[in-house]
Amino acid sequence: MRMPDRLRNASGEFNMTPMIDVVFLLIIFFLVSSHLAKQESQMELPLPAADSGSLPDEQSTNPRITVNVLNDGAMMLSGRAIKAAELQEVLVAKKAKVGPDLEVRIRGDRKAAYQFVEPIMLSCARSGIWNVTFAVYRTEDVR
Amino acid sequence: MRKPSVFTSRRSELDIKMTPMIDVVFLLLIFFVWTASFQVVEHILPSSVSAVTGTSPIDPNQPVPEIEDFEDVVVRVVSENGRVVWRVNDQPVANLSDLKRQLQTIASIKKDAPVILHPDPGVSLGDVIDVYDLSRLVGFEKVQFAASESI
Repeated sequence: MRMPDRLRNASGEFNMTPMIDVVFLLIIFFLVSSHLAKQESQMELPLPAADSGSLPDEQSTNPRITVNVLNDGAMMLSGRAIKAAELQEVLVAKKAKVGPDLEVRIRGDRKAAYQFVEPIMLSCARSGIWNVTFAVYRTEDVR
Repeated sequence: MRKPSVFTSRRSELDIKMTPMIDVVFLLLIFFVWTASFQVVEHILPSSVSAVTGTSPIDPNQPVPEIEDFEDVVVRVVSENGRVVWRVNDQPVANLSDLKRQLQTIASIKKDAPVILHPDPGVSLGDVIDVYDLSRLVGFEKVQFAASESI
């Protein structure tokens, strides 16, 4: 590599270019890692397709419970399997803790039978939770 | 830093500077990895439970009305030997586009007619959401799920 000329750089000025390079890399690194971290919090499921859905409000601070329904009907709540009977207790307890704004989001496999989703909606209705949503993909994203 | 020997100055004229190129390639690599988002964006579909406040929209003790009544539009989703069949107020519908046409007709007459979606337990969630989405798209204001058996 060519060495810089001593005499030319001797005036004491800094070379900014490497610093800008490094800072730029760091910015991109943190952007990417935060982007990936957000994705990893969700279980991968083939959600049903629908066109009348809306984008979730990311700014919303409403407390939320996400219930995942797998292909075989198993229910997952924050990473652990849960039975339909337990779910209602969890919902009632959570609602008592955080108040009426509680949102329940159902992320169901599109191949899961409806009989496994129905009890979730029933439990919500019985616990007095009205803010129930389904997670879906846009039709053009699926096909 | 120590300046290397005399030979350096002669070699330097042929040297290609690799470092900026590696920097740029690295940046481009990260940029494309980042933009090629592997995950599709999720949307949310408000369910019928949230549409109605106050009284419980799902009453397990109340059987779904069998007789057709123009007040209610009962859409049944039945699974017959692995195939999905739809019935609007007990009239069989051949396919989804027919279903859409029928619902559109009803919606053009009476938009606020409550649509009651009554899927069989064995029907997959995807098919249920299809009909639910359709009913919302044609403009019905109230689409509800029926719960026929007590669970």
